[in-house]
Amino acid sequence: MSTVNSIEVENLRRVFTRRTPRKLPWQRNRQVNGNELCVTGSDKSGNQPKTTVAVDGISFEIQSGEIFGLLGPNGAGKTTTIKMLCTLLEPTSGTARVGGYDIVREPAKVRGSMGTVFSGERSLYWKLTGRENLEYFAALYDVEPSTTASKIDSLLSKMDLESKSNEPVERYSTGMRQRLAVARALLADPPVVLLDEPTAGLDPQSARNLRDTVRSLRDEGHTILLTTHYMAEADELCNRIAIIDHGRIIALDTPAALKAGLQEMHSLEVEVDRAPDGVLDELRSLPLVRGVESHASNNGLETWTIRVLTEDSRQTLDALLDLLRASGDRVLNMKANEPTLEDVFIALTGKSLRD
Amino acid sequence: MNNVRAFWATAKRELLIRCRYPDWFVAMLLWPILMPTFTVFATQALAGPDNSGGEVFAELAGTSDYIGFVFIGIVMWSWLNTVLWQVGATLRTEQRRGTLESNWVTPASRLAIMFGSGLTNMISSLITVAVSLIFCKLMWHIDLTFSPLLGLVFLLSTAAIYGLGLIFASLVLLVRELNSAVNFVRGMFMVFCGITYPISVMPHWMQTVAKGLPLTYSIRLIREIGLAGAGYRDVSDAFWILFAFAVSLLAGGYMLFILMDRIAARKGILGQY
Repeated sequence: MSTVNSIEVENLRRVFTRRTPRKLPWQRNRQVNGNELCVTGSDKSGNQPKTTVAVDGISFEIQSGEIFGLLGPNGAGKTTTIKMLCTLLEPTSGTARVGGYDIVREPAKVRGSMGTVFSGERSLYWKLTGRENLEYFAALYDVEPSTTASKIDSLLSKMDLESKSNEPVERYSTGMRQRLAVARALLADPPVVLLDEPTAGLDPQSARNLRDTVRSLRDEGHTILLTTHYMAEADELCNRIAIIDHGRIIALDTPAALKAGLQEMHSLEVEVDRAPDGVLDELRSLPLVRGVESHASNNGLETWTIRVLTEDSRQTLDALLDLLRASGDRVLNMKANEPTLEDVFIALTGKSLRD
Repeated sequence: MNNVRAFWATAKRELLIRCRYPDWFVAMLLWPILMPTFTVFATQALAGPDNSGGEVFAELAGTSDYIGFVFIGIVMWSWLNTVLWQVGATLRTEQRRGTLESNWVTPASRLAIMFGSGLTNMISSLITVAVSLIFCKLMWHIDLTFSPLLGLVFLLSTAAIYGLGLIFASLVLLVRELNSAVNFVRGMFMVFCGITYPISVMPHWMQTVAKGLPLTYSIRLIREIGLAGAGYRDVSDAFWILFAFAVSLLAGGYMLFILMDRIAARKGILGQY
């Protein structure tokens, strides 16, 4: 792998200021709740202009031929970062260069040197066939007309869409649409590919196929910036990962190095018979516990899984079981795991990526 | 970047999508027949059985061909209507489809994409005008005199109306709502531009407002050239006013588009709807 940087981001920051919807007079005394990072100001009509720091001074460099992952929960600032890098959104401050071009001063050159795949499946024309979509975007990417047809054939074949190429996209499955979106991003053979949550909403098989595609793109020499909130995906695909939360990068390293930082940690997983909301704060306050999260077990049995990251599982275990019994939670299952990227996130933020 | 290629590709894309909604063709053929017809019957009723009302109308309008008079007004207004809805909604439509951002991240000129999409809309609205013309020629025997000057006036009107559409399209990026603005503007043009009556019947202040609207000049010029056979010297004042409208609206639309696109990128509202 060469050490030339394809993407350089320095102190990039994006702040949104938006008004809440106008209220009717009888609604104005009600309290407004928000999950934003900070809320400032209020005008006479009761409308509160909210200042949200979506990306808060992030810096990183991505080397050519690298798969770089931005891992974080929803609302962490991943998509905002992608939108700034692909010139859809101007940064409030900071700089970034893609393929050597400045995203603010040379947006057209930036767009010419990258392909972007957005999250969701509405970025294609559903009334056009897969081939018509690619023909249209090939013109926008100014793919050499004499090679357009062969390029499209090759991409359709690579994405396993040949047999459906003349059918309208509205008849495609979600996975097929996502593969077509990747094909579109590759039309101009760009050195940099941005993938925003590429496997979101896909079934396991389609997601696995797409991850294979991403790996093959890296092998062909493309530099890939991938956003995801799936830890396993980031772990499996990325050469390096930046963990992002509340718009800030809180860790950046290879997956192995990130997990190695938790070698002294133990991860306990306890399955209980009901939502353990009442005891989570008490669990967090136990000595040696570095993080606690819980989620529905997703096993069809309506049970919940509590994940506890601790410096010493033996010492934590008794106190953990005592607390659960005292709160009336029935323990159904329990196991100790090797730390994962999710544990890294819990250790750094005290919460789960699902939160 | 080959902007001409992007322009044609967008026009072709939009045409293909249109062709996959066949009911659109039915509307395109029926609308131009229905629209002038109801006004023509209303005008005939007002003229009375002995056409005494028609004589008064001829005195005010400067032509006894009231069906032709009404036809031109209605067709031009319908055309404006179509362009405002279709060109004005170009970006909004892309936002709703979810495709605006995937177009905007390509290196193609955004204006080329915008104009390419507008070309298909313009062609469809021209078909509407042509159907209206054929229908009224066959049904109501209106007699329009075609001349290069008439073609030029039509071209200038196209530029002015397209400029107006571009202004609407640009504003939609920011306000994300088109309906109320289009309804207001088309209502203004319907009342003030003398669609079915000569503007001389309006109060003085309304005539002053009419002079500030490009469609007033388009309709007046097409009536005078097409129905009364006027030449350039007879209509030069109105011609150059329309020319000024066309240039300023197109330039204004272009500048506003660039400005609004920048504001949308700053505010981060491109993909919102």
